[in-house]
Parts: sequence; C-alpha cells; structure tokens
Amino acid sequence: TSVTVDFRTHVDQSCRYSEEFVNIYYDCMDKKRRNLTRLYLDKATLVWNGNAVSGQDALNEFFESLPSSEFQLQTLDCQPVHEQATQGQTTLLVVTGGTVKFEGNKQRFFNQNFLLTLQTEVQLI
Amino acid sequence: NRKGKGSNKGRSYDRSRRDRQRGSQSGGFGGPGPRSRLEDTDADVTMSDSSQDNSSQHRLKYDKKWLLPALQNICSVPFTFCPFSYFLAQSKYIGGVFYIESSCCLLFLSQQCMAKRFDGSQQALDLNNIRTDPDLVSQNIEVVLNRKTNMEAVMKIIEENIPELTGLNLSNNRIHKLDELTNLVTKAPNLKTLNLSHNELKSDRELEKVKGLKLVELWLNRNPLCDLFKDQASYISAVRQKFPRLLKLDGHDLPAPIGFDVETPTIIPPCKGSCFGSDEIKVLILQFLTQYYSIYDSGDRQPLLDAYHDGASLSLTTPYSTQNPSRSSLGEYHKDTRNLKRIKDSTVRFRLLKHTRLNVVAFLNELPKTQHDIASFNVDVNTFTNTLLSFTVSGVFKEVAVDGKSRESTMAFSRVFVTVPAGNSGLCIVNDQLFIRMATTEEIRRAFVAPAPTPSSSPVPTLTAPQQEMLTAFSQKSGMNLEWSQKCLLDNEWDFNKAAQVFTQLKTDGKIPEVAFTK
Repeated sequence: TSVTVDFRTHVDQSCRYSEEFVNIYYDCMDKKRRNLTRLYLDKATLVWNGNAVSGQDALNEFFESLPSSEFQLQTLDCQPVHEQATQGQTTLLVVTGGTVKFEGNKQRFFNQNFLLTLQTEVQLI
Repeated sequence: NRKGKGSNKGRSYDRSRRDRQRGSQSGGFGGPGPRSRLEDTDADVTMSDSSQDNSSQHRLKYDKKWLLPALQNICSVPFTFCPFSYFLAQSKYIGGVFYIESSCCLLFLSQQCMAKRFDGSQQALDLNNIRTDPDLVSQNIEVVLNRKTNMEAVMKIIEENIPELTGLNLSNNRIHKLDELTNLVTKAPNLKTLNLSHNELKSDRELEKVKGLKLVELWLNRNPLCDLFKDQASYISAVRQKFPRLLKLDGHDLPAPIGFDVETPTIIPPCKGSCFGSDEIKVLILQFLTQYYSIYDSGDRQPLLDAYHDGASLSLTTPYSTQNPSRSSLGEYHKDTRNLKRIKDSTVRFRLLKHTRLNVVAFLNELPKTQHDIASFNVDVNTFTNTLLSFTVSGVFKEVAVDGKSRESTMAFSRVFVTVPAGNSGLCIVNDQLFIRMATTEEIRRAFVAPAPTPSSSPVPTLTAPQQEMLTAFSQKSGMNLEWSQKCLLDNEWDFNKAAQVFTQLKTDGKIPEVAFTK
C-alpha cells in the first residue's frame, strides 16, 4: 500500500511534472533527436499513427528515420493515474496537442499522449 | 602556348625596372616591357600554366596608334564593367607611348579572345559558345594576381563574361590570399577545377573563403600551408572538410568520401489503422466501446456510472481558439477546457479535473447530445499490464440538436482511456481524457458513410436510369462497392468526372477505408 497523498497535492505536482516533461521531450524531438530514446524505458512501446515500435533499438531507428520536426505545442493536459492501475507506482497521463511540421511535408495537427512513471527520473512506459 | 616576351629590351625597360625595384620575382609584376609590336592579336598568345618557368611575365608595349583604335573597338562592347578602366589607370602614357602593366595587358588580351566572338556589325558578343569554347574552358588563365585590383578585374571578367567557367588555373602567381575569389562561389557556380599550386597561401583557412565552390579537383601543392600538416591524411582531411565533393587533390585521386551527400529523411511513416496488439484485446476493447458509446449517444449518460471506477478522473481539452468561444460550435466544450498551457492557476486547474465517478458522469451528462460514427473509430493500444490497459480512440461525431433543429456540426475527438480489469471480463475506467476539435473537411467527407442505426430508417431514394448506369460504371471503374460509389457520386452532384477526380485524389492520399471496396 502506498502512502496516501492528498489528491490536490498529487494533481498540482502532476501538472508541474508534465510541463517540465513536455518541454524536454519536444525540445529533444526537434533539436536533439538522439537523446529522445533516453526518455523511454527499455520495454517502452510507441504507437505512431498505427505503427507500433517497441524496444530501445527500434525506437532509436524510428526516431532517426523521422524527418526533422518543428512541434508547436498548443494544448497540454495531465492526470495522475489511479493507483489501482499502477500498483502503487506513481504514474501520470500526459496529453498534448498542437501542430507539427516535418521537413518535406506540410504542417499537420497532432495529438500525443504519454504515460509517465516517476522513479528517480521521469521516464515513459 | 607561347609566352610573350619582348625581343628587344630597350633602355626604358631597364630604367623602369630599377625604379620600381621589383626584382625578378616569378609571376611578379614587371615594368612596362620592351617595344614590341604585336602584329597579330592572336589570343593564343595568352597564358601558360603551371610550368616550372618562373619568368611568366609579359611585358608588352603597345604603340598608341595601334592601341587606341583597338581600344575603341573593344570598349564599344557592351560590358557593364570595362576592364580597361583598370587598364588605363594602371598604364602610363609617356612620350606618346602607352606603357601598360603586364596584368592589364593580359586582360586586354583576354578581351581580345572574347573579342573574337564579338560581332562588330551587331555590336553583340556572342557568348553562347563560350561555354564550349576550348580556349576558355580548358585554358589556364595566368595573370599577375597577387594584387587585389588585378585579381578583382579577372574575377569581374569571369563573372560577367564566362560565368560558366569550369576550370581556373591560378598557379604561380604569388597569391597569398583568396579574398577576391569569394564571389566565384555565386558568380561561377560551375567551377569544378581550381589550381592554386605554387603560391603563397599560408594557411588552409584561406580556403574558407571559397568553401562554397563544389570543387572536384584542387591543386594546392607548393604552398606554405602544405607544410603545416603533420601528415598526408590530416592534410587531405582538412581540405576535404571544406570541399566534400573533392575527388582529386594535387593530382592524386582521393579515396571515395564516406557518407557525403547524406539525404535527410522527408518521408513520414504511412498512417496505419488501429493498432490493437492482440486479438483478445481487440475484442475486449471493441466490445467496451460499442457499449460505452451506445449509452453515450443515447441521450442519457447516467448509466455510464457503471463504466467508471469510484476514483475516476476526467478532463476535457479543446484547442485554443481566437474566436469568441460562445459563438463557435465548440462553445459548449470550450468553457470546461483544461489546457495547462493557458491555465496557470492551480485552483482553476484542480477544479477543471473532474474527480470521482459521480462528478465525472454528472459532467458528461451536461455535454451536448452526440452521435458518434463508431465505424470510423481508430483505436491504438498504448500499453497494457495485468492491472492496466490504456488505449486511445479517435474518430468523429455529430452534435444532435434536441429541439429538432438540425445542428450539423461535425467534430473530431481523441480520447485516452486508462482502464483496469472489471469483474466480468470487462473494463473499468480510471482515467478519461477527452480532446475535441472541429473536424476537417476530409474527415467530414469520410464520416457517416454507413447508414446510422435509427429505429425508422428513411427509404432509399430511387435512382433514375442514367444515374443507375453511372453508378454501375463508377463502381466498376473505381472498384468501390455500390454503396460507396453512390455516396461519392452524390457528393459530387452526379458529375462522373468530378467524382472520379475526387475519388482518385482520396485514394492516392490513402483516405478511402477498405470497407469501401468490399462487395
């Protein structure tokens, strides 16, 4: 059983974590693509427009093959995930939306969501 | 190639040499030359190249009588820059004789070369053949180029007269800097071979000034800069860094470069449909969604209480809009939007997160009545463990007016469900995040193709004979079934060609679902 954290505090913290996370994530995505996979756990799975990618190597390859990007984040929302789903491991659901321009393609809308597990560092499932 | 050397060395020559105290440096500027009459102004007199001979000086003196008419003739050529202004500035007129600096003389001769192509009657200079003219393309131009003005003049001639230049030999000219060559990058973009050997370049940094040239062959030997490198490999490496396309250096073939001209990717992975991960999960999720949305669209969302966990959370986000929120179709949703990028107050942030299932469902019940196009749903499974199944659903829905007035707003949504297993092989929602925006025209077009399940379905309109015919033909040509073909034709006012165009475009974009082709 985990320590009961005041729900309000939980929510406040989640918001702050998620803001910091998306800054790092999209900065990496746009400018330091190679660092991106560090944010993913070994067993992480990414589903990108229906394409499933799992494992660090595949993720690496996937991100290398994506054209260079310019993300404009317009919306951000975050919820602490209920502990019953996470067996006590603090997890956040982060949902983003905005526009993205990939080199050689026209600008599009995007929606993205992440499940973040807080350990010592912020990571992704 | 002959070198023009005066045959008679007169007194004037010697005196000027002493006066100028230039000494006998190779490629250096010499004084006005001996009196030598050029009977023929054969352009072949120009220039030798990277030979060992150091005395590449051209000292010629032109008799005024001959010179002036020649000048007139050439100055009438329509050049914006007349090198002869240089020519004249650097000449001396002494005792009825023009003494011309050798470099200017050579400029003069270059003009002569081109003057061959000058059509006097037309006053036109035919440059069309210049590009293929062996005299210019393969000829090494050698002038006294360690003087800025001379070099500039030569560059100008190239820029303005032979911008298609592919080879340039500047060897043996005591050149110590390349500043004047910078413009070549833009003005002579086809330059592929550059010979800078036997000069005074002291550092490879000089090459930075011409870095933009797409050189394939470069000569740098017999420059002080070569001695700065501890070995051949680092020399080659440094040069290659500036000229990645280089194949030959100092006459030696270079090994093929590695990884040059790497293409940057521009293709993004094609959009695939739903990603379930496994069939069991697919069945589970589809079952869940069918149940969920039939309640959601029913007009009373209260029964959804059973779908949510006691401690469930829900929040809604809409895109930022500069429009007056109450006037946009998303108005109903805008007022509860939770966007951390725009809302910074923690109390407001907290309030907008609906917590506990009672609050969640109460909130959902306040939202406008909807009709979802379940057939259009796309489902991606984010992750699953034995305690968690998270998936994202996206699709479109219509807002249905309760009061009978049709309010045809089609919206698109993306919804993340985080669920835990529920007793009877079902799912129980612990987190629900809903993002709503207006649907794009593409999405509207593709939506609601299959007739919506309503208690009383309206009769299918009968088609006229020509319409029937068109329908059959369209179905045949497109490969789509009759239902979809009819829809496409309907959408395009039964204009066969227009419908065909629209169909082709959508098909190319991959926007037609497979179900359209099942017969």
